[in-house]
Parts: sequence; structure tokens; C-alpha cells
Amino acid sequence: MASIAGQAPYEERSLFVRKATGLVRGWSVQDAFIYAFFSINLITLGLYIFADGPFIPKGSLMLAILLSGAYLVFQTIVYAALIAVMPRAGGDYVWVSRVIGGGIGFTLAVCGWWFINWHWVPIYANILAKEFFQPLGAILGWNGFVTFWSEPKGIFTASVITAFLAAIFISIGMRGYAKLQKLCFYSGMIGLLIIFGLLIFHTKNDFIAAFNHYAHHTYGSKSANPYADTIKHGTYPGAGKLAGVAFGSTLLLIPMIAFFNLWSNWGATLYGEVRGASDFKKNIGAMAGALIATTILAVIFLLLIAHTMGWNFYNSANNAWWSGTDQMGGVWPYPVTLASFFVSPWLQFIVILLMSLWFFGWVGTVFLTASRVIFATAFDRILPEWAARVDRRGTPYFAILIMLGPSLIISYFYAYNSTFTNWTLDATLVIAVTFLGSTVAAGILPWRKREIYNASPIAKYNVAGIPLITAAAILFLAFLAFCIYKWLSDGVYGSNNHGSLIYMGCLYGVALAIYIGSRIVRKRQGLDMSMVYGEIPAE
Amino acid sequence: MRLYFATDVHGSETCWRKFLNSAQHYKADVLVLGGDMTGKALVPIIDDGDGKWHATLLEVRTDMTSEEEVAAFEDRVIRRGYYPFRTDPANLQRLSEDESHWHGLFQEKMLETVEKWMRMADERLGGSGVRVFCCPGNDDQFEVDDIIDNAKTVELAEGRVVDIDGFQMVSTGWSNRTPWNTYREEDEPDLSKRLEAAISEVTAPPERVVYNFHCPPYRTGLDDAPELTEDMRLKDAGRAVKPVGSTAVRAAIEAHKPTLTLHGHIHESRGNCRIGRTLCINPGSSYEQGDLLGAVIDLDGKKKVKRFLLTSG
Repeated sequence: MASIAGQAPYEERSLFVRKATGLVRGWSVQDAFIYAFFSINLITLGLYIFADGPFIPKGSLMLAILLSGAYLVFQTIVYAALIAVMPRAGGDYVWVSRVIGGGIGFTLAVCGWWFINWHWVPIYANILAKEFFQPLGAILGWNGFVTFWSEPKGIFTASVITAFLAAIFISIGMRGYAKLQKLCFYSGMIGLLIIFGLLIFHTKNDFIAAFNHYAHHTYGSKSANPYADTIKHGTYPGAGKLAGVAFGSTLLLIPMIAFFNLWSNWGATLYGEVRGASDFKKNIGAMAGALIATTILAVIFLLLIAHTMGWNFYNSANNAWWSGTDQMGGVWPYPVTLASFFVSPWLQFIVILLMSLWFFGWVGTVFLTASRVIFATAFDRILPEWAARVDRRGTPYFAILIMLGPSLIISYFYAYNSTFTNWTLDATLVIAVTFLGSTVAAGILPWRKREIYNASPIAKYNVAGIPLITAAAILFLAFLAFCIYKWLSDGVYGSNNHGSLIYMGCLYGVALAIYIGSRIVRKRQGLDMSMVYGEIPAE
Repeated sequence: MRLYFATDVHGSETCWRKFLNSAQHYKADVLVLGGDMTGKALVPIIDDGDGKWHATLLEVRTDMTSEEEVAAFEDRVIRRGYYPFRTDPANLQRLSEDESHWHGLFQEKMLETVEKWMRMADERLGGSGVRVFCCPGNDDQFEVDDIIDNAKTVELAEGRVVDIDGFQMVSTGWSNRTPWNTYREEDEPDLSKRLEAAISEVTAPPERVVYNFHCPPYRTGLDDAPELTEDMRLKDAGRAVKPVGSTAVRAAIEAHKPTLTLHGHIHESRGNCRIGRTLCINPGSSYEQGDLLGAVIDLDGKKKVKRFLLTSG
């Protein structure tokens, strides 16, 4: 409130806005939260990667989730700041190409959001098989059906389903997909609450009895006590410690967990005019809120697993599954399946269906960002004009084709060639390298794009004299550097093998070749590509 | 012929300066500004007495203690596309309470700026041989047309067919209906009549015709805008986008098959597409950042556009 001498205080107006296109009242943090929340998907990515915990036996999964979840708030600041300075430009490609350079921007974005997403299709498919087809098949007693999804042809079939589902979601457009995601979010949350309820209101003894029953009847275990035998065959040093203090090992879990919690920036909202600092804060609120909420839910889930199933059992079940000594007929011990053992098979079926919405609301993300990168690079004339073509219904059919086709070929090799399967362990690494580029761009932005930065609503935010965007970028850069170093140097993550490095190098080589080739072709066509990014003097 | 097209600068003086310099930068023969030249907001700079001032831009308050600081702040506001004005608390309160009062001030500042821009064009491009066309868009008040029409260097394009180096360009800044009830919008059938009336004046063959229609054609990817809720908020945090372009514009392009069409209006929908052989371009807008998005287009009168490039200057 302001005041004039001798008069009552009044609301001081700082802006007079006339009627004009595009002026909106804002956007809901809750809506943006949903998309970020779905991207750091606890049920699909989270539970899937937590099963790898036994590979770093002394580390505390729970502590690693908490530490990385808290630290990655810096990532949300970096991305919210990039959006605040260069809104609507939208995305890693545009930021890096405008701040650092076109070649680097193109190579990083194309590898990190397009090429590597071909490799994410079979990973998504694996999750679909393990969290949807196999549990449902097991409940129905279709043994052949359950086994099928573990075989190469099953993995390939799941990949084809995944790829086509993602393509369909892109075809229906963002409007339809946003609605579907919202529906999946609320329904999936109901499913998760049911799971939490089942774990809260049952004891470990209840679980042992239920597990032993269904391990026998549904999964064909021959053991007299499948629960005890799971622990016996799967236990390893450290398996029983929920929150151990082996800090070094816990840190080593973080690059593994990044597979799950590195994606909060997918929830960023890029629209809006004639607003300012509040949008920056709202974007942080949505992304960091989703990150923190997911972290808390992950910790609650793990605590409930420890309470009702036993932490030793959970880790042993995962370890036994990896080593082929499990009591569930080789089916992955999906925690949702295990928690649903307290209810009848038909209720189990319904719970699994509800929880599968975490997958179906998320599957479109595998192609979504790629299609944006394809469009942006085609509009910059690096990719051919046809790459961004849409039909009369607005469907980007060429973009879908160049996502779908290669992803099916890659999925075939993933399913039938175990060496190639190992190469896909680079999936997180390549995207992290793309984030690294954007983070460097964010860090140097106040100097490289001084005018744009100074005119932005975040120019006033400094930490110890350093622009907030730079400070957050340095801290997030340290996280990425640590993860990338570990991925490249430590065999436990599976991505530092020779073949993998060569393969990854080839991906970057292809991207660079496309960029250079495009520059040559365009030059022959008489197009000076330097005009795409070259700034016009304003004075 | 090389044509440079930009649009939706919305009062950003940085973008206007860049637009004028683009002829030299891109070696363009013709400059076309597609519409929505005028700004959307007035920013008061409030006199606190004793040489102190304060103002708020982008929700960030700035306190100023010298004339230099106030001038620098005004410059920031102008660069962003808004109109600064100095006032005192009593006057600000009067303005806040009386809509017609501040609307009058808005118009005054807006027209003042357009006049200033026309003078800048005369200074920079007068006698250069570069032709400059402006076609006000749906967000521009009608008074803007008179100022452009009276300018020396800049030519008004609204509703006219202009001859440029053997090509003909037909322009309009009118659009289909928007949720904001802006100055130049109408129902699709009326827009269709307006377009056909303008197109009927064209005498050149389609490969030598350019349409400069502010509103993009419907469902082309150049017209995807965030869907709004009833209370004018972004639905699904801006993710739910839908086509909002004009069916009349699309029908005109499909019927007459010009070689090139230039559009704006939807800032987020930067891109290009083809309707048949016609190349349609919406370079988008990042006016608030002072980043002039545009398109450099080479035309040679053959069936398809010779070369084009979307630029970010």
C-alpha cells in the first residue's frame, strides 16, 4: 500500500495494461507440478532403478534419494532462470545455440533429446512389461504370457507397443495429451494411496503369509518358505540397512538414481507476457515442488516397504531376481505387486491397472521433446523443411516417423543383442550431457547475453555478488560432472565399457555430421546460416 | 529480391531499431513489419520527492535517486516494449481510479512512439532505396495507420496491393476473433470478404504474389496457442495448445496459391509450413527480450520461393 500525505493509504498501481492479444492472468502451479511430477516418475523410473540398489551394496538408497532430491533443486533454479531470461524460446537447443553456438546446441540437443530417446523406447518397454503385462498375466495365471515378456520377442513387442503409444499421443496433440496426463495423475495417485494404505495397515507377518501364498499359487515357487528363501538366496552385506552411514557408497548411488530424479525440468512452463519475477518463482515452485514431493513419496514408500515387507527382504528380492534365484518365477519383484498381495487377485488386478496409469500418462514423453527439437532445428534450416511438416489435422507425421522408425530398429537390437542392450545404459548419460550444455549456457548467460539478462526479472538476484543463475549453474554443474565422471569411470553403472563409448561417440559424430553437412548444403543453396543466430546491431 | 520480414514488436524500441538496421545486416531490398507494432503496458515512475523516484518493472521494484537512474530505467522500459511516464502519487491515484484517463495517456504515449519510430526510419533509411512497409495488426489502434500513412520512408500496407520489384504484396492486419476483443478482429465470414476484396486487386500471377496477413492460417502449426480457461488463465500450465488461426486465411491461400505468405499474431508459433506450393512463415516474436525474430526470403518469381531463413537477431 502507498499513501499520500493527509489521505488514506491506497493500492499503488505499478502497471497499466491495455487490451491486447496474449495477455493472460497466469497459470496454475498445480498444473505445471503435475507434469514435472510425472517426469520424475516414482513408479516407473523410480521403482525400476531402485531395484539396482544391490549393485552398490553398502550405500543407503533412502539417503541417496534425499540428498540428490535436495541438491537437484539447483537444477530447477537453473531451468527456471533460463526460462525467465529467454521465455518462449523454449528448450535446451535454443538456449545453447543462442548462447554458446549453433553446432554445439544442435549436437547436444539432437543427441540428448532425439537420438537417445530412440534408446529410451526399449527402456520404457521394459518397464511396461515388468509393471503391466507380467503382473497382470501372473494374476490371470497365463504363465506363457508372463514368460513371453522376458524373452527377446516380448521385449521387442513391448517396444513396438511403447513406440506406437507415444506416436499416438503425439498425434492427438498436446491438448489431448495434457488431459490424459491429468486423468492419469489423479487416478495413479489413488492407486498409490491404496498401496500405501495396504502397507500401513498390514504387518510384516501378514506380508510373509501373503507373499508365501502368492509365490506358491501365482508364481509357482516350490519353496516351503519363499519369503525366507528369498532372503537366504538374495541377501548381501548391507541389504538390511535402510539408512546406513556408508556415505561414500551412498554418494555412488546418486548417479544411479539420476535415472529417476533428473527430469524435473520437463515441467517448466514457457508461456506468459507482461509478468515477471513471480513466474520465475512459480516455475521453481512447480519443478522443485514436484522434485521434493516425489522425493518424499519415494522415502515414504521405502519406509513402508521396510516396515511391512522388511528392508532385507526388499533388497534380497531384487538381488535374487538379478541373480536368478528368486521365488517369483523370474518375474521382477515389482513393489506394487508385492503390496497388492494383501487383497484378492481381482483386486490385485485393479490395483495394477490403476498403477499402470503412471506409465500411460508418462509414455508420451519419450517422443514429445524430440518432436520439439526436430521442429526447432528444421525451422533453423539445419534439418530439411519436411521434418517439421504437419498434415491438415496438425499431426507432425515426418517428425513422428523419424522418431518411430529408428526407435523400432534400435528396439530390435536391444531385444536380440545383449551387447547392444548394455550400450543403452548410456541413456541417462547422454541427456545429462545435454543438460550440461544448457547449464554452461545458463552460467555464462549474464555475460554472453548481457542486455537480455539485465532486462530480465532475475537480474536482481545475486548470491555473494554472483548472479543467481550462474551460482545455481555452478552447483548443478558439479552434480552433473560428478555423475558423468562416475558413469564414465565406474563399471557399476554399465556405461563405461569400450563399445558403449564408441557407440556414444558415434551418436555425437552423426549429429555433428548432420550439422556440418547441412551447413555445406545450405551454403551451396546460397543460404548463409550464420544469419540464423547473428544478432542485428540495435544502435 | 530479398525481403526481410518481422512482426509483433509490440512497442519494443530495441526490436524497431534492429528492424531498421536489418536491411543493411541482411542485405535486404524490402523490409516488411507484419503488425502489432504498439506496446501493451504503461509503467509509472513515481516521484517520491527530494529527487527520489521509484517504479516497478516485471514485479521488481527499483528505487532511483538521480536523473541518470530514472533515464536508465525509462530506457529499460522502452526496450521492453512498454511506455514509461513520470508521475506523482496523487496523479497516479487519479489515473488508477479513472480508466478513460489512463487510456488517454496510453494512446498519447503509443502514438508519440509510433511518430518517433517513423522519424527514426527517415533518419536511417531515407534515401537508401530500401522500401519499408508496415501493416498494423489486430492489437494496433486505427490512429496508428494515419501516422504511418503520413510517414516519408515507411509505407502503409494495410488493405493495399503494393508493387515491389515485379512482385505484388497484399496486406491486412485484421484477424479472426480473439478472447481479447482487440481493435482489428472480426468473424471468419467477414474476414474472408475483407481478404477476397484485397486479393481481387492483385493482377500478378500467383508465383509473383505475397500475402502479408497478420493472422496465420488455421491448423498449420503456425497458429498453435495455449488454450485458456474461462477466467483467462493458461490451461494445463500452457501445455494444452490448440490451433487458433483463421480458416478464412487458409481458404484464401488454398484458393489463390500465392508463392509466399507472411504471418505473425501467435508469438509462440515460430515456424514455416507449406500449403500446396505456398510457403507460409510465422517468424514468431520475442520482443520482450529485444530479440528480433524474423525471416529473410529471396524471391525470383519462379513457382517456389528461392530461399528463406528464419532468423533470431
